[in-house]
Amino acid sequence: MKATVKINQLTYKKNLKTILADVSLDVSGDKIIGILGENGAGKTTLFRIISGVAKNYRGDVAINGKTSPADRKSLVSYSQSLGGFPENKRISQVANFHEQIYPDFDRDKYNQMIDFLSLDVTQRLAALSKGTKEKVIVALTLARKTSVYLLDEPFGGIDSMSRKKIINSIIQWKPTDSLMLISDHYVSEIASILDEIVVLKDHTVAIHKRADDVRQESGKSIEDYYESLYEEGAQK
Amino acid sequence: MNFDDKVPIYYQIKTVIYDRIIAGELAPGEKLPAVRQLAVSLTVNVNTVQRALREMIEEGVVTSQRGRGNFVTTDTNVIETLRQDLITRNLKQLYERLHRLNIDDQEIINELVTYIERRARQNESNGKN
Repeated sequence: MKATVKINQLTYKKNLKTILADVSLDVSGDKIIGILGENGAGKTTLFRIISGVAKNYRGDVAINGKTSPADRKSLVSYSQSLGGFPENKRISQVANFHEQIYPDFDRDKYNQMIDFLSLDVTQRLAALSKGTKEKVIVALTLARKTSVYLLDEPFGGIDSMSRKKIINSIIQWKPTDSLMLISDHYVSEIASILDEIVVLKDHTVAIHKRADDVRQESGKSIEDYYESLYEEGAQK
Repeated sequence: MNFDDKVPIYYQIKTVIYDRIIAGELAPGEKLPAVRQLAVSLTVNVNTVQRALREMIEEGVVTSQRGRGNFVTTDTNVIETLRQDLITRNLKQLYERLHRLNIDDQEIINELVTYIERRARQNESNGKN
């Protein structure tokens, strides 16, 4: 079955502040979509809403046609920070917890990724570098068998070797037929693996295009094209 | 590998594979690596590899055999055409560039011959070391 995420006229406010305004987005198929935008553009909020974590929004959100937050939670694997776990827990304990709460957790696949990413599962969370933490998060997120994967800034502040390892894990272990949304505020590091880009700006979707169409039509790199959107805005 | 992010990635994948075919690294009739394997080795999306493959199949350079994978064509005429196109494209660029600088045809030929001879000597002496 083809994975779909359909959002219609979504508006979300927090403490009277508009975070997302009239966002409509229709993505489907076995793609990797880059959700791009500055810090504070609403990327994380959008992911929290899609995955069924954030509520009290206006508008429609459907995954594979399902709208209830409970259904959506089971269809989406959303990368959560490890902040919810005590710092003295080991990677293996966090994985055991995930296996218990998610029936779709695939232990074999998880082990393959742990191997590939050269992670030592006996390490405690407190001892992990930023890059290692992100690797653990990506492995846990991809270990679930779902229709949709949401990776929230998996490359924030990590070294280039960790980044390459994570990108390769994504290409290798993203299931065929699944749809993946990756958010980032710095696009050049993931540009080569994106099918489409969605730019969030001024609380809403400013651009939604195929990545190769951007290159073909503008003759620019995704990075330059993305930056030019902000420069145009500044001139107004 | 490093892509030029200003050029569509599927086009660059095609170029990489065509270069390998022309260079003989991928022989006529040879099986191409699996799509996902190609994607991982090039650090690109599976769909982008598929788009490149689709075009190569349309252009007759690659043939797809259901359930078995993708193969370099056994039609050597197709590969020869590919090779000729690539040579022409590179020569055209060089010729137009030098021509714009008002270097006449005979001088271009002479310079090219001299250059090739010099490179051959260099390669020879490098080989001895």
